[in-house]
Amino acid sequence: MAITGLLLCGFLVVHLAGNLLLFAGAEAYNAYAHKLHDNEDLLHVAETGLALIFFTHLYLAFKLSAENRIARGRGYAENQSKRQDLISKVRPESWMLATGLGLLAYMILHLADFTLEFRDTSHYEGLAPFDKAVSLLNDPISIIGYLVGFAFLFAHLSHGISSAFQSLGLNHPKYNAVIKWSGLAFALALAIGNASLVFWAQSQ
Amino acid sequence: MSGQGMNLTLRVWRQAGSEDKGEFRFYQLNNVSEHMSFLEMLDVLNEQLIKLGEEPVAFDHDCREGICGMCSLMINGQAHGPDNETTTCQLHMRRFRDGDTITIEPWRAKAFPVIRDLVVDRTSFDRVISAGGFVSVNAGNAPDANCLPVPKQDQEKAMDAAACIGCGACVAACKNASAMLFTSAKVSQMSLLPQGKPERARRVLNMVARMDEEGFGSCTNTSECEAACPAGISVDNIARLNREYLKAVVFSDEGI
Amino acid sequence: MFKVADSPLDGRVPDGPIADKWDNRKNELKLVSPNNKRKYEVIVVGTGLAGASAAASLAEMGYNVKAFCFQDSPRRAHSIAAQGGINAAKNYPNDGDSIWRLFYDTVKGGDYRARESNVYRLASVSGNIIDQCVAQGVPFAREYGGTLANRTFGGAQVSRTFYARGQTGQQLLLGAYSSLMRQVSAGKVTLMPRREMMDLIVDEGVTRGIVCRNLKTGEMEAHTGHAVVLATGGYGNVFYLSTNAKGCNVTAAWRCHRRGAYFANPCYTQIHPTCIPVSGDYQSKLTLMSESLRNDGRVWVPKSADDTRAPNEIPEDDRDYYLERRYPAFGNMVPRDVASRAAKERCDAGFGVGETKQAVYLDFKHAIERDGEDAIRSKYGNLFHMYEKITAENPYQVPMRIYPAVHYTMGGLWVDYNLESSVPGLFVLGEANFSDHGANRLGASALMQGLADGYFVLPYTVGDHIGKHGSSLKPLGNDHPVVQEALESATSRVNSILAVNGTKSPDSIHRQLGQIMWDKCGMARTAAGLKQAAEEIRALRDVFWNEVKVLGSGDSFNQNLEHAGRLADFLEFAELFATDAWHREESCGGHFREEHQTEDNEARRDDEKFCYAAAWEFQGVGEQPMLHKEPMEFNEVALSTRSYK
Repeated sequence: MAITGLLLCGFLVVHLAGNLLLFAGAEAYNAYAHKLHDNEDLLHVAETGLALIFFTHLYLAFKLSAENRIARGRGYAENQSKRQDLISKVRPESWMLATGLGLLAYMILHLADFTLEFRDTSHYEGLAPFDKAVSLLNDPISIIGYLVGFAFLFAHLSHGISSAFQSLGLNHPKYNAVIKWSGLAFALALAIGNASLVFWAQSQ
Repeated sequence: MSGQGMNLTLRVWRQAGSEDKGEFRFYQLNNVSEHMSFLEMLDVLNEQLIKLGEEPVAFDHDCREGICGMCSLMINGQAHGPDNETTTCQLHMRRFRDGDTITIEPWRAKAFPVIRDLVVDRTSFDRVISAGGFVSVNAGNAPDANCLPVPKQDQEKAMDAAACIGCGACVAACKNASAMLFTSAKVSQMSLLPQGKPERARRVLNMVARMDEEGFGSCTNTSECEAACPAGISVDNIARLNREYLKAVVFSDEGI
Repeated sequence: MFKVADSPLDGRVPDGPIADKWDNRKNELKLVSPNNKRKYEVIVVGTGLAGASAAASLAEMGYNVKAFCFQDSPRRAHSIAAQGGINAAKNYPNDGDSIWRLFYDTVKGGDYRARESNVYRLASVSGNIIDQCVAQGVPFAREYGGTLANRTFGGAQVSRTFYARGQTGQQLLLGAYSSLMRQVSAGKVTLMPRREMMDLIVDEGVTRGIVCRNLKTGEMEAHTGHAVVLATGGYGNVFYLSTNAKGCNVTAAWRCHRRGAYFANPCYTQIHPTCIPVSGDYQSKLTLMSESLRNDGRVWVPKSADDTRAPNEIPEDDRDYYLERRYPAFGNMVPRDVASRAAKERCDAGFGVGETKQAVYLDFKHAIERDGEDAIRSKYGNLFHMYEKITAENPYQVPMRIYPAVHYTMGGLWVDYNLESSVPGLFVLGEANFSDHGANRLGASALMQGLADGYFVLPYTVGDHIGKHGSSLKPLGNDHPVVQEALESATSRVNSILAVNGTKSPDSIHRQLGQIMWDKCGMARTAAGLKQAAEEIRALRDVFWNEVKVLGSGDSFNQNLEHAGRLADFLEFAELFATDAWHREESCGGHFREEHQTEDNEARRDDEKFCYAAAWEFQGVGEQPMLHKEPMEFNEVALSTRSYK
């Protein structure tokens, strides 16, 4: 989970970096988009790899949660945390499967919009990538869906990053706090970065 | 010490045997002194039950000073009750208030089947240790104790991990019933000390494999185990186990 | 009250100078070849330091071992609760320690009632124990240079105690347990947890096995082998309140006694000076605060009996540091029996503190001022934490309140130099035997003895028995008459307890027994009191067999039944305890007879009449036991009056 999770994070960084070119204007963004599609073979290889990582992550998530449910057996009539460092009772680490599924829903919407073009395409038929993105980001379903998706992303990664480091044994008392807070900052940066595109698109 | 004690309602899990379905039963217990330990409170309950002709509640306990790891109990949904770094036998009734209802359940995990009432079978822990939680040295062939200097910091960290009392609270508190904290404590102790180095790869691979076989869940790093651990074992040990495990999988000759 | 055997009992001590005795004995012992060892089976009952180390060592040598314990795991035996440390004559601190000095201190600490040759052997293997434990990965305290650290313990003027924070027993036990589990995975040890030994199987005078009750299912099981090793700890719980774990009991030892094993010096009980006082009548056990605390804590009571001020408000001038006053040479580090009696003396004289007036202060104020709170925390943090948990008082700020409590029993089954009891093939180790501590045990010596017996003595001596008898001992089936008889007797005992169906819970009767023992067989004993105790115990035994109420059945997990069974044996054993204490007309170590004291209230021994181990032979419940005397000879250490002044 940790390795696939971190790899997916890597993809998110690259993906966001590319998308931030929207701020640089139509020319830069369109050039980036065309460059990406120049070499279709390479793109397919990358996409297959990404899909493989993604589905492994998904498969492991379902497998582990099923196993973990069996490992508990009969649950408790009452259960409360003994952790003292918690700000709230609702914690991302208890909801990884739920936030993960939320993310999955967002991704389906996102792919339906941009890649598979399942939804009504009449608004941006024949437009350049830049205008297509702006148009899609002004769609009300997308606005809400994407913003909720980014919230899930934040929740998922706020535990996921530091958890992945822990699972890989990348841990040291000197740096534990750094890992924890940078994981949180990273998650926040990704969520805000992505959300900023949605808000920016409203002004176009 | 004198005067009226607390009046409590106890909601206790009763189960006649491992095959029995089991159910909660309610008991009223009056005049409980705040200086009693939680187990002494259960002793008083049992004396009351014997008088009434009902079989006493079975619960594991032995040393009653927090070191043997025999006592357990999920108290109001918390392993060993509300105090941190405290076993049930050292939990005192001054932590509760007059009129409280206290829910008492056994540890719940597939690898810890219920034997009777609040007593569970934790022999799976012994089997995890027998898979590798030792240094292979026979009596009689040890070199002089000071032959092998151990840096004080390493010894202290090893001792922190070795303090595990094997009670199973980590498994009980984990939402996945994972035994990672328990297993990692032993792996850590041995990997921090030079004595444990020769068989470190074997040890971690075998212990983790056995842990999975026993039906414990996997670690999702929620740190509930650390909060519930009466011996204060840190989840840093889990990271160390993970590191040892990855190293063993990637670099060692084991399993070729 | 008893009969005396005609001839003295022979401890079978080897010849030669004391330093050569063990080597001489090892050279005489029969060996069993490696190929033959795997044909033999040894039964080990108890998995504390002695039992676990013995079981592991025997399996390493090639024997097939079955290890029994009543707990759910061998790791939980009560050795785990030992806090302070383990002695060894390593002389790492270069302060003049030697095997001879450890030997001398232990003999003197035991008030000249231990077998000299055993104690010398104990001291001479003490260094090997530390080596072995370190090799297993026991995280003993270290100096910054990486070498082992030592501290001082009571009754010694050198630092020879190795420790792992305040959890030395835990770490040593987990070390022995890990060796045991290694042999489990090698298939050489079969673990039998949640089993209670109910009887010894003896055929033609030789030990052949045990009967035990499976505590999970209630089933009676017979296990036979070529030798039985008993490492079942002490009987302090005869006092109900003690620092022992709730499950500690005399049953296994008593059942062996009933089958012919002599019980030696049952009256030697160690009352530990530093325990948390009793707080109410629901109290189920007492908690020890390690003796190591006396390294830095100072014991005192107010000079005035009616001083009701809070401890911190009592100025230095109004405090009586009575141990420092009475014993200037050893001060707060006098042996346990001396410290306990001194505390009792102050409290009886009305100077006790706290609500019950049955406590004295153990004060760390000076140590904290001298070394700082952090230094004290790093040494004793877990003990202070434990104290605060139990009493809700912060010992960094207010002095601890402490009072003596029953802690350890020096008496036990009689064994010869080979640790073999009077029934051939039955070996007894650790606290369960009587041999090494005489009338009082020094701190940090119990762990040493348990591991010495298990790692370095028994593995040699068991071979001698098996070498002599092994090939002639044919396996006994469950249908063999002696096995049948033992199984039936164990079953019928369980059934008769269940059949009483009276009105009193086992716990309530046990509390009554404890009260009799504490009042009349405790820290100060008199002939009249002991005689009365024996009568009261007999009467209480009748109460048990007529009025006890045990619910549930014998063929299921039934903790009440377990407790009742152990109590039934305590009730038989307690009478022997009182008889032994009554017969010993002297004061020595933990046995203090008020009739026999010096003018300044110190113990007065009678070496003329009582320089022997009293080994009692069972003659029937309520019958007069037979006393066998094993003379204690002191050729190396001259008998003298102990002085810690």
